[in-house]
Amino acid sequence: MSQWLANVLDRASTVNDWLSPVRQTALATLREQAWPTRRTEAWRYTSLHEVAELELKQAGNSASVANAEAPAIAGLNSLDLVFVDGQPVTDFSMLTLSAGVTVTQLHGVNAEQQGRISELFNQAKPAHHLFGLVNDVLAEQGVVIDVAAGADVQQPIRIVNFVTDGVESHHRVLVNVGDNAKVTVIEHGAGNGHSMNTAYAEYVLGSESKLEHYRFAMHGQEAIHMGGSHFKMGESSRLNSTIVGYGSRLTRIDTDVIHAAEHAFAKMNCIYLLAPKEHFDLHTTIEHAKPNGTSEENARGIVGDKAKAVFNGRIHIHRDAQKTLAELNNRNLLLSRGGQINTKPELEIYADDVQCAHGATVAEIAEKELYYLQTRGIPRSQALVMLNFGFVQELVNQMPNKALSEWLQPLLRERFSAMETK
Amino acid sequence: MMLTIKDLQASVEEKTIIKGLNLTINPGEVHAIMGPNGAGKSTLGYVLSGREGYEVESGSVEFEKQDLLEMEVDERARAGIFLAFQYPVEIPGVSNMEFMKESVNAARKERGEEPLSAAEFLKTAKAACKQVNLPLDFLKRGVNEGFSGGEKKRNEIMQMILLQPKLCILDESDSGLDIDALKVVADGVNSQRDGKRSFIVVTHYQRLLDYIQPDFVHILADGKIVKSGGPELAKEVETSGYAWLEGHEEASA
Ligand SMILES: Nc1ncnc2c1ncn2[C@@H]1O[C@H](COP(=O)(O)OP(=O)(O)O)[C@@H](O)[C@H]1O
Ligand SMILES: [Mg+2]
Repeated sequence: MSQWLANVLDRASTVNDWLSPVRQTALATLREQAWPTRRTEAWRYTSLHEVAELELKQAGNSASVANAEAPAIAGLNSLDLVFVDGQPVTDFSMLTLSAGVTVTQLHGVNAEQQGRISELFNQAKPAHHLFGLVNDVLAEQGVVIDVAAGADVQQPIRIVNFVTDGVESHHRVLVNVGDNAKVTVIEHGAGNGHSMNTAYAEYVLGSESKLEHYRFAMHGQEAIHMGGSHFKMGESSRLNSTIVGYGSRLTRIDTDVIHAAEHAFAKMNCIYLLAPKEHFDLHTTIEHAKPNGTSEENARGIVGDKAKAVFNGRIHIHRDAQKTLAELNNRNLLLSRGGQINTKPELEIYADDVQCAHGATVAEIAEKELYYLQTRGIPRSQALVMLNFGFVQELVNQMPNKALSEWLQPLLRERFSAMETK
Repeated sequence: MMLTIKDLQASVEEKTIIKGLNLTINPGEVHAIMGPNGAGKSTLGYVLSGREGYEVESGSVEFEKQDLLEMEVDERARAGIFLAFQYPVEIPGVSNMEFMKESVNAARKERGEEPLSAAEFLKTAKAACKQVNLPLDFLKRGVNEGFSGGEKKRNEIMQMILLQPKLCILDESDSGLDIDALKVVADGVNSQRDGKRSFIVVTHYQRLLDYIQPDFVHILADGKIVKSGGPELAKEVETSGYAWLEGHEEASA
């Protein structure tokens, strides 16, 4: 065990709130976890030595945090819930909520809701994610979103979580999308400095419900970010998820989509963009536990010089899950020979009447394409940006929310410039 | 003088391909370069464009009083050199429209002009697209993505029309075209002849030169210009092919 994990276990005993009963289960599991090594399958390509000895200031529970404004997104008109190092900046008592939605802080769930909400906890997130367990036992701050059955929530809900230099923080989001309800939730992580945060979100989708989901993990070069978005799909529910991740000192994101009922449809597009020397690790799992489910996943990554990307795309089709349609595609673009990508599709199929397609490719930036653009007067670095855009544009265009895709364009341009080997 | 190439020697992968080439082009002139396959015609275009891997071993190239060989690929392009490729590359994901807008605005910036707005550009691009007889939806498609050979060639000519270069190097813009497409390409080129703009028309066959009247015809063989003359030289090639070159080489050796 690492010193850091030992400290986590110590601190976990001081957490005492309405979630304590469910946290106890997680704590028991966490105590049995061995600290991952290179031989641990889930961490084969991502070393945790940076975390093992980490000693950062813990985000205080009542510490007043500097006023932070959410980065504005023109035309989005979202309900913004802003946190700094996991601590709320938004005054939750002042929120104007759409009909059918309740938004509360994790610790502020009233007695009447507690039973039901605590049942959401660890419903979608499997217990094998080490940092998910850490989040289970330590995250005292966070957001609970409860969308009533049938509610059609027009205003997107955005949870912004800034990290700051020298601080460790843990943040949890629990979302219940009632039957036939419709909602958009954006998890927006930003900030820089030598920080460490875990941010896990769980979504339970009722039958025929629709969730539009975004996760932006846009942390600076120095940050360590561990997180996950996990979805439990109800009957005929629909998920459309877009994940955009920057690399950093260490970013690891786990996603799980669990087809726990029939006829669910899940679409997930992931884009990861690594500047030189950064690390980014994305593990995605799709569990088809019930028949007639559909999943479409597209992940595209661009990897800068001396950066390292890890993509693990698992599709697990259980024996009962006949008539499943599952597609997974991962494409990577290396900007330099010094970059590294470890991509691994993992298929486990136990049903015989299914359609499952998967593929992974790694390509180098094509010099002849760069040359062609340059012969038309476009400077090399701008040509690189254009080729990078070309590589991910299709996924950006598929984002259902146009305000978000518009907002993303200049950020990507900036990002691509930062990714260039100068 | 627009372009002066002196004693140019250039190699690819340590193999010398251009072996002492001299050529002078004045504003407004059309020079045809003909020659057998493998003579080094495309290589000459690449060297003039500044392509990586094409090493200049000796000689000089002056373009509008600048040392061309010292300039980057994109600088040469903005200075007014345009190369229409024999085999244009496909770039899926980058739209033809965005690509051309960025190129045109890079050229405008170089000339000290304001960038075109999206609407202004669209108008110009539509006109150019029509001129080379490409459907308008080609602007929205990925650069050359899934275009036929002929469509790629016409797309090159469209870019030339939009970029308004000073020196256009057309590398076998006629190959693989049927007669109608050939006329479209030739008309596109002719529409750009204004007495100042110069052209190097590289072609294997005489056919294109029925439509684009050259001022000079050069025969390039084994990395050198072995014969220069007027349009009549092209006719000569048509009747006797390149077989006579063997004799010529022996004679000059
Ligand atoms: N990238 C390359 N690597 C090696 N040899 C090359 C390369 N490009 C061209 N060559 C060689 O250079 C010579 C001239 O080629 P090229 O300029 O394409 O001729 P042309 O256009 O006149 O048909 C040929 O012998 C060809 O094989
Ligand atoms: Mg050629």
